Amino acid sequence: MLTRFRVEGEGERSSMAENDDLGIERTASIQNPTKPSSSIGARVRATHDDDEDEVRVSLRPVLPHSSSDLIHQEAARALSVMDSFHQPWLTGVELLDDANRNKHVLPTGLEGIDVLLGGGLREGQLIEIAGPSSSGKTQVCLHSASCIADKGSVMFLDTCNSFSPNRIACMVNQFSGPLFKEAKERRLERIMSSILCQPIYDIFELLDTLHQLESTLKHTVKTGGYKICLLIIDSISSLIAPILGGKSPQGRLLMVSAGIVLKKLAHEFNLAVLVTNHMVGGEGGIIKPALGESWKNIPHVRLVVSRDQQSNVFTATVLKHTMRASGRTAKFVIHN
Amino acid sequence: MEIANLPISASQRSKLLSAGYATLSSLSSLSPSHLARDLNIELQEALEILKVVSDAADRSKSTDGHHQALKGVQTAWDMLSEEQMQQHITTGCEDLDHILRGGIHCGEVTEVGGVPGIGKTQLGIQLAVNVQIPVEYGGHGGQAVYIDTEGSFMVERAHQIAEGCINGILDNFTDHDRKILACQEWMQPNSFLSNIFYFRICSYTEQIAVTNYLEKFLKEHKDVKIVVIDSVTFHFRQDFDDLACRTRILSGMSLKLMKLAKTNNLAVVLLNQVTTKYTEGSFHLTLALGDSWSHSCTNRIILYWNANERYAYIDKSPSLPSASAPYSVTSKGIRNSTSHCKRVRMM
Repeated sequence: MLTRFRVEGEGERSSMAENDDLGIERTASIQNPTKPSSSIGARVRATHDDDEDEVRVSLRPVLPHSSSDLIHQEAARALSVMDSFHQPWLTGVELLDDANRNKHVLPTGLEGIDVLLGGGLREGQLIEIAGPSSSGKTQVCLHSASCIADKGSVMFLDTCNSFSPNRIACMVNQFSGPLFKEAKERRLERIMSSILCQPIYDIFELLDTLHQLESTLKHTVKTGGYKICLLIIDSISSLIAPILGGKSPQGRLLMVSAGIVLKKLAHEFNLAVLVTNHMVGGEGGIIKPALGESWKNIPHVRLVVSRDQQSNVFTATVLKHTMRASGRTAKFVIHN
Repeated sequence: MEIANLPISASQRSKLLSAGYATLSSLSSLSPSHLARDLNIELQEALEILKVVSDAADRSKSTDGHHQALKGVQTAWDMLSEEQMQQHITTGCEDLDHILRGGIHCGEVTEVGGVPGIGKTQLGIQLAVNVQIPVEYGGHGGQAVYIDTEGSFMVERAHQIAEGCINGILDNFTDHDRKILACQEWMQPNSFLSNIFYFRICSYTEQIAVTNYLEKFLKEHKDVKIVVIDSVTFHFRQDFDDLACRTRILSGMSLKLMKLAKTNNLAVVLLNQVTTKYTEGSFHLTLALGDSWSHSCTNRIILYWNANERYAYIDKSPSLPSASAPYSVTSKGIRNSTSHCKRVRMM
């Protein structure tokens, strides 16, 4: 499917053409306007078999005496915008096919939660678990990690030093069933070697790490190495709380970009992303999940957990789910 | 990578964006003086911005596709053997050490809360002394940092506790050895006191400043194994008009403390006060600073009274089950409870 793009503007011409391996030829021409104050507009025409799509891309004002470097930069920027149109439009059938083949459901191992989620954590989705302090959020993360590490790799980004290898070993040994000691030991080593943990203490470190993870995964797809299927961030709210609020919208910008990057990673590389959030006081004394209104729409699935009276029984409630009714609750037990 | 994701200040970012620099590549081959002229800022600032940009560009180029390229990543299997070798800081009370599986964990932030008079400061001083027990006798042989916000640290009491600790070590030896050991210089209470670095804080800005300064301080004093902050919430409870600002400052401070604990592998102990909370028609005691602060620690221990005895209860921990144990405060420091009912109560 060959796609052609042409960018046209007015005034002097300066053009760049590029061919890449997909055989797509793109040309961008930027022209200097005769009046310094007017901005450059560029019309992008994309021909796509029979259809034609037209998109306007407006670029920085380029003054008549600007250097050709600047013009080239702007042309490169126009090309990068066009890059995002490389993805062919997908039909519903293709999406369903992708969902059935690539987006598996990963069971967390905790019955109540698996029932609420319709099987477990679904790849391609961002799942949030919110709850007051000591309500079992970290335990759910550790349990999911130990259960899912059997099938693929797990990446655990830890912001509150609560990743406990001992606890993971405990949980793994619980599932192992009747095996000899050496076999148990080997199984433990195999599973625990596929759980990777990294401490993160800064939102910028997080964005950096996600960026590096993206390039690592792109490379892995080509070479066919081990596959990460679950990414856990415990807890994302402690990274965002120091920057959210105040006069500048910078904090909210970073929070939303982090959410977008996580969802993009989940969809492109077939990961399930699990994040934890804490609670804050709301109106009427009822507690609600932190991070505010802008965060509410970002995760695909939101659960609220709480602990029943200092026991080992926890309750989970669905706040938001893309495929199931919200408001349902279930109890689950975490053994010592 | 976008400019918006770089760790630079908001004003620098808005200047960059309004001058038209939106991506890293547009800044990569720019000279500092050109940038300074364009943005109308000092040359020094332009140099700093370009340094951040080149660091970010280096990081995105250096991934060679292998997962070890991610800095600081470890597998759980490696961490398991490290964690098993980890030594804990004893609290002086055997029952309490038992429910903590050895004592206060290094590399984690532990919050200790309780009503006034329950023994939080005593526990803080005891830990600052116990961390100095030499390695030969089962301790860490390290130093301690004590950050005092309320003025409740008493040097005479610390001297008494150090003496009690030393006598406890000496009790394990025969009379003859004891005399020789007692003469050693490091066995004097004064040398124990000299290994406690004491900071007195009088306002919340000083507290923030000390937290920022600790990073540099700990690089110079590599033997410090415990940081005690007594009490972490005192200066934030009064005189704060903007509660949202308070939440931001406290969460930033807790992230920094977490990072310090992990990178220097030391224990951070935060002592906290209690306040009353009105929920569901009744008052009950909770730790100060509310829900958003309650997530800033890895472990939480609550000290409470139960029929004239002091108890410690593990409220939050990623790896320990909930349990409570009795302890007592004696003239020698924190010790086992001396009541006849000595069994550890499991909740």
